[in-house]
Amino acid sequence: MTTPALRAIGLTKHFRTPGGETVTAVDGVDLTIHSGEIVAFLGPNGAGKTTTVDMLLGLTTPTSGTIEVYGTTPHRAVVEGRVSAVMQTGGLLPDFTVRETIRAIAALHGRPERVDVAIERAGLGPIAGRQVQACSGGEQQRLKFALALVPDPDLVILDEPTTGMDVGARHEFWDTMRADAADGRTIVFATHYLAEADAFADRTVLMARGRIVADGPTPEVRAAYGGQTITFRPPAGRMGPHGVDPAWLDEVRRAVAPLGITDLEVASASLEAAFLALTGGPTQAHTTSPAESRTEAQEALR
Amino acid sequence: MSTLTTPGPDAETRAVRRTSRPMPLVYAGLDLKRQLRDKMGMFFIVALPAFLFFVFGMGDDEAYGSANVAMYVMVSMAAYGAVTATTTVVGAAATEQTMGWGRQVALTPLAPLGFVAIKTAVAMLVAVVPVTIIYVIGAATGSSGNAVDWLASAAIVWAGSALFAVYGLAMCLVFKGENSSSIAAGLIVIMSFLGNVFTPMDGFMLEFGRFTPLYGYAGLARYPITEGYVAMGAGHDSVWLLLANVCAWTVIFAALAVWGLRRRQERV
Repeated sequence: MTTPALRAIGLTKHFRTPGGETVTAVDGVDLTIHSGEIVAFLGPNGAGKTTTVDMLLGLTTPTSGTIEVYGTTPHRAVVEGRVSAVMQTGGLLPDFTVRETIRAIAALHGRPERVDVAIERAGLGPIAGRQVQACSGGEQQRLKFALALVPDPDLVILDEPTTGMDVGARHEFWDTMRADAADGRTIVFATHYLAEADAFADRTVLMARGRIVADGPTPEVRAAYGGQTITFRPPAGRMGPHGVDPAWLDEVRRAVAPLGITDLEVASASLEAAFLALTGGPTQAHTTSPAESRTEAQEALR
Repeated sequence: MSTLTTPGPDAETRAVRRTSRPMPLVYAGLDLKRQLRDKMGMFFIVALPAFLFFVFGMGDDEAYGSANVAMYVMVSMAAYGAVTATTTVVGAAATEQTMGWGRQVALTPLAPLGFVAIKTAVAMLVAVVPVTIIYVIGAATGSSGNAVDWLASAAIVWAGSALFAVYGLAMCLVFKGENSSSIAAGLIVIMSFLGNVFTPMDGFMLEFGRFTPLYGYAGLARYPITEGYVAMGAGHDSVWLLLANVCAWTVIFAALAVWGLRRRQERV
């Protein structure tokens, strides 16, 4: 039995608000991730993803529960360069250039020879001489990714890595990640973009209100919670410039008997359905409302 | 599950990192370069003290102790520039923290105290710039004194500015947020007046000023020239009084820094 990349048992984190109330951000999370896995950490804003990531990196101490990263403490794993991250809350110095930023962090890792590799991997070559403050949100995000690659980690944790990127940049980013996964790196990413989990992760961990509500292979999470949908193609003659002939559609509704349907496809529902079913709770005032997450999800799927 | 575990070209190099050690000097070099590029910051560190030197007595050849008035003002302004440098550079670490850079650094093997040490070293290197430039301007415009005056005052100005690195650190730990650096630098101006750095004081203000942080430091820097005699015939300070001032404020600032650090850690 090999040591898992990451093992968390009963991970819990309470915060005290300025008003003196205790808020439970993460509530009894059990999670084991093995080497080479690509895992999506999916959930709406406020689900506890970032707090969990902070604990996995040793930046926040859990109120209770244990974490092991490659059989050691998260801090030790960070110091050894076995784990690194693109943090949502991580920042850059605006008056460093892209290359200087990477050189600075590489110096602290004692890995100056990794500077060029990281620049190339993150596709930053053309803007290496540019000051960080002149970079777009997507470019800064790629720079943070380059910083995560500097120690050549076995495990990369990415918290909302494509924030601020347009669709094209997101695409490019995930292509880079795919190349990295092929290199045997273990990848854990937190996202609220369903399409990213769907397209990229082997396994999806669905989080809501500080708890894990579903955990399994991405297609299974989708199938188990999202139901199924039947899609079919109408005969060519029934297709007009404005879509399917409504009269014909009425006929279909009246009778499900064969009406010349030439192509029938049974597809699983999108992960979106599972996401909404599991995370949307009108009783939970502090979580994203289903309507909001729907808009967010639709935007994500566009 | 389609996991790909074929070792790629990176797999071989992964053994390297187990033996790698942080290279703080390389980081300090990059950070120094960044500080020196900051035109706004360098204006307050170099141009403003140089301008004040020009206003308050550049080229004034009236004898003063073992030197002349121009030399006395030069040392004062170099001291003002040097403490502005150490205060703002170390204080800027607070801004870097609020921008999240501290979290990037926290994901490297560098220990938190190592980061403070790097910042202090960079601050001390930046402090060399105003001292050098103002001394060069002084030398070119008629500041005169003996060799000991020049060398000893420059050394004291530079080394003593380390006290204000501790001050900058304490301020950025006690007042959290981006403004702490500006607050720290602003207070330096007030403390410079009270510390008898800008215009010579007498009477109650001088009595009060003797207890403020810049008084001991500036007095020591000018000691080779004045031997403790205060400007405008306002009395004499023994070297022990000046040293006591510096030591007391070092302890106070260090205690504030420790207190600020503890308070900050509790909040997390």
